Amino acid sequence: MARLFIFAIGGTGSRVLKSLTMLFAAGIKPSSQREFEIVPIIIDPHKSNEDLKRTERLLGNYQSILNEVGLNNGFFNTKITTLDKLVASENRISGSFTFNLQQVANTRFKDYIDFNQLSEPNKALTDILFSGKSINKRGEEVDLLDIEMDIGFVGNPNIGSVVLNQFKDSKEFQEVANNFNADDRIFIISSIFGGTGAAGFPTILKNIRDAMNNTNIDGRGFLQDAKIGAVTALPYFNIEKDIDSPIQKSDFIGKTKAALYYYKDNVTGNNSVNSLYYIADDYSGKPYKNDPGDNGQKNDAHFVELASALAIIDFLETPDRDLTCVGGKAVNPIYKEFGIRNDSADIKLSDFEDNTERKISLRLSQFTLFRKFLNEHASSAWEKQPWSMGQPELNKQFFDDSFYRTNVTEFLSSFGDWLMEMSNNKRGFSPFNLDSNLDSLVKDKTVKPGMFSSVDYGLYDDRLNKHSKGKTYRSSSQKLISLFFKTTEDILISKFGIKN
Amino acid sequence: MKEFFASLYEWFGVIPLYSRDMGDQLRGWDITCTDYIATPWYVYIGWIMIILTGFIYALQYHIIDNSRLNKKMHWWLFALLIVALNFLIAFTIPFNTLQASDYCNQLNLSVSDCIGFGLSNAVWSLILFVIISTPPLIRRFSTNCRLTTFWKP
Repeated sequence: MARLFIFAIGGTGSRVLKSLTMLFAAGIKPSSQREFEIVPIIIDPHKSNEDLKRTERLLGNYQSILNEVGLNNGFFNTKITTLDKLVASENRISGSFTFNLQQVANTRFKDYIDFNQLSEPNKALTDILFSGKSINKRGEEVDLLDIEMDIGFVGNPNIGSVVLNQFKDSKEFQEVANNFNADDRIFIISSIFGGTGAAGFPTILKNIRDAMNNTNIDGRGFLQDAKIGAVTALPYFNIEKDIDSPIQKSDFIGKTKAALYYYKDNVTGNNSVNSLYYIADDYSGKPYKNDPGDNGQKNDAHFVELASALAIIDFLETPDRDLTCVGGKAVNPIYKEFGIRNDSADIKLSDFEDNTERKISLRLSQFTLFRKFLNEHASSAWEKQPWSMGQPELNKQFFDDSFYRTNVTEFLSSFGDWLMEMSNNKRGFSPFNLDSNLDSLVKDKTVKPGMFSSVDYGLYDDRLNKHSKGKTYRSSSQKLISLFFKTTEDILISKFGIKN
Repeated sequence: MKEFFASLYEWFGVIPLYSRDMGDQLRGWDITCTDYIATPWYVYIGWIMIILTGFIYALQYHIIDNSRLNKKMHWWLFALLIVALNFLIAFTIPFNTLQASDYCNQLNLSVSDCIGFGLSNAVWSLILFVIISTPPLIRRFSTNCRLTTFWKP
């Protein structure tokens, strides 16, 4: 199976990766001939970043569910794995989804670059390059050189580009290179208006394309001509005004312009990327809390992150012939944007263009319906309905077991939070009435009229019983995932008229 | 067939719920008291019991076949319906004959005989319902009631 290595950089990287994980969990797959195994690598110096921690936990639960139930069950139908699983046992690296940035924790930037060991002329040059002020993790104003990097680069890509350059010598990069094959692809997620993403994207891209000059790694040829896609999120959210914070919304556009100007020569101008997706939203909505990173940085999920995740699906659907590279340069670089049919403040499924609607409406609705049943009705149906009592049983013991209580429940709870956060955000994405009756679950989709057409848990149980009749399953957990996928698909197509 | 139903309803002579005279009447003892040439009620009522029980079984398991009507409580409700209908049929037919005095005057029939026969028919219908719905052979064709029996779920 070919692999897609995803480098998710900074807070936006983590949040886009979270959206992508939700899409994969819902069973959304690229409509391409080839299957891809996803290998996410999160690059963020800010280890206590809540967005990163939430994404890591989510990926961990996804992996556990997939390990338990296997592929081809509808939901959780794309393999996601950690880099260490690709590596031979004698050379193990950490079994996590995060890239281990060295010497960042509790280290000031000036110590990282051995400022005190520099000659006087170099010190003077460094002072010029890294002049200015920022804040430390205690909220105190400090010189840029004194910044502690545990909370990221606080909107300073000039620092990020120095620190992230260690990527090329890292064990993780070596392992990516050593395991990279001709059919594999790379995708880089970043934002352009902050520090970590803006610096990380060109740095990582350059190190991949310059692989031929890196003697530490094998598989250099494949890597140099790798099919690389990237999404760069331009400003898409608003933040509270705080004159003491180094993060100001007014700087977003300036930083974006500066980064784009740099990309013009070093990313797009030299054809380094095969397919680049620009995602932005100038809608000035509900502001996020102004948190440079010292309070954990937990931002609500945003529709733009979902759109960015769709860019990854689109990239996987792009045929190989459109992603050809020669000598580390894309032959026909592709640049894309994302649009919706209606400029709505609260996006619903019908606001999407046809292609997007067809791609995600049914599966996302299915997963929402799956979650709703387990939250609201499972306890009254288990050990009472044939779908639960038939072999292998989905009984109380199964629902009390750690697989369900930990992995499934936690994942579905995160999915609910994700939907809720996107719904509460402005611009919002609120395609579902999460607390309504079943028949009004999907906004803009009315249940087809008919004598026996009401959609309620009775009908849900009926369909579960129908789809479980005469079927064999490997295990209870596989039955749960597979049966609910088939059933929710049936209900949403036959009753809500959602097209497959 | 007549003797088959007769032996069932008379519980093989072990625990008769009604008199021997009622047994003769149901076998078809004619009004002139000469021979068993009148309506063989044992056969008719026996077949009605089988068909009615089978129909109500089919109603629950295959026609309605609903996830809201597949618990043991619902099985018992349908069983109650079967028992009540079969009791009524088996009680009403000889009772009407009794009221109309449309039987051999040498037979000594009473209302308690009618009740006894009604009870016998009701019990057999319940037994039949248990027999049809307990083994999975037939009920496995049901979607929502394929695991419904008198003791679960």
